[in-house]
Amino acid sequence: MMDRKVVETSKVTVSFRSKRGDIHKAVNDISLSLSRGETLAVVGGSGSGKTSLLRALIGLVRPNAGHVILYGKYLSQLGKDGLAEVRQRCGYVQQDPYGAIPPGLTALEAVCEPAVIAGVRTGREEIRERAVSLLAELGLKGERILGSRAAGLSGGQRQRVQIARALMLSPGILLCDEPTSMQDASTRGEVIEVLAKHVADGTAMIFVTHDLVLAGRAAERIMVMKEGFLCEEGPSDKILNAPDDPYTIKLINSVPSFGKITA
Amino acid sequence: MLDIKDLTVRYNSMGRVTDAVNGISLSVEKGSFTGLVGESGSGKSTLMMALLGLLPPRTEVKGKILFNGTDILRMSDREIRDMRWKEIALVPQGAQNSFTPVMKIKSHISEVLCVHLKMPGDEAERETARLLSEVGLDPGIKERYPHELSGGQKQRASIALALACSPSLLLADEPTTALDVIVQAEILELLSNLRKTKGLSILLVTHDLPLAATVCDRLVVMKDGIIAETGTPSEIVRDPKHPHTKDLVREMFGQRDKK
Repeated sequence: MMDRKVVETSKVTVSFRSKRGDIHKAVNDISLSLSRGETLAVVGGSGSGKTSLLRALIGLVRPNAGHVILYGKYLSQLGKDGLAEVRQRCGYVQQDPYGAIPPGLTALEAVCEPAVIAGVRTGREEIRERAVSLLAELGLKGERILGSRAAGLSGGQRQRVQIARALMLSPGILLCDEPTSMQDASTRGEVIEVLAKHVADGTAMIFVTHDLVLAGRAAERIMVMKEGFLCEEGPSDKILNAPDDPYTIKLINSVPSFGKITA
Repeated sequence: MLDIKDLTVRYNSMGRVTDAVNGISLSVEKGSFTGLVGESGSGKSTLMMALLGLLPPRTEVKGKILFNGTDILRMSDREIRDMRWKEIALVPQGAQNSFTPVMKIKSHISEVLCVHLKMPGDEAERETARLLSEVGLDPGIKERYPHELSGGQKQRASIALALACSPSLLLADEPTTALDVIVQAEILELLSNLRKTKGLSILLVTHDLPLAATVCDRLVVMKDGIIAETGTPSEIVRDPKHPHTKDLVREMFGQRDKK
């Protein structure tokens, strides 16, 4: 039977050294495991270590302790080529859509690019068709949008181009860092649905956000982090409806919701 | 205090004409906390720029914006400059990036006090410290540079800056983007408290309906340059009338139709 496990970490710690020489532990002893078709949301305030954890999972930062196993391989043992090979099977939607799309490419070219770089052997026409259909799924259609360079797109549109780009090579895992931060209310729901569809097709997803309610919509399990440490982890329903940790409760209470209307 | 009548704003840019605001009428009562809610391109930022007399040149503007009885659209540049900051002040979108990186926080605030209120330097520095503590910051922060502050601290400092000349109307354009939910809640609480203690009127511009609904006492929902709906948060959330508002409310309850 095919191993469905995509990523596993044990006690990963990531530290950064500041200019003054102080050591700042961004991620402390975090262990997780994720298989195809599973979703995990990582939630916490600014500086809780969410993004550093995500970057450690694909070897963009090296853990100072603990290890990351991606597609059955210890990242620490992989060389440049090995790392490139496993990374090609990961879709990474980084937090800042302004820096994520090559400025010289049109939206359509940017989505095709991963296939070009990976040397996919299907014809150019097929690559183009897949890119067009991924963009259409995300509500981006028409010559005017597909032919625009990044500068001509809104933040929300860039973010969706970036998601299509991450999906291009049908990755086994999607790592999404605040993937809907620039979406309007109406497109946010659509993006979450598109992500859910790809998860149903067998992709694993890690969804990083500071919004616990959104996390509950996007993922079946939630991991709450504070200042690099794990606060609590469990099924989304449990975390949202019966949280144990005071920090989780504070996060939930901070999300504006219609239940809190006073006027 | 603010009465907008049949306002239309049309941009002419390189031969392309965009009707950003299309005949809207709206009034804001003194002491109210109004939420102007709309998606990208709904015209909310254009409306705000019109209130400050900051629309780009060659923009076609029709209608009236009466502020305490005087039409802002017919004021001279000088009159508008006198009104801005002293009467209507802006907490700009992306306040975190609106500070000059090479100037200390105190220089930003003192400059406004010196220019607009002709305050002498030492008095301006004392006033700066007072303003910072009013928004819940340690006055010692005045000696720091913008990059030495967290996102939440910068947002508070930008509110202190807007309050420098004791305006009666505060325009807050997406004041909590890029802040995490806990800091967001703190900033909204600060705005609510300032409104009570200082009798400020606040116009909050946001794309986040639940956020506006929890802090404001009146909502104005904009769509494609027109006002889709106005009402109290509970009226709008319980019984939205306009299809766009219905969509937004349904989306927020997570019951969006799959079709």
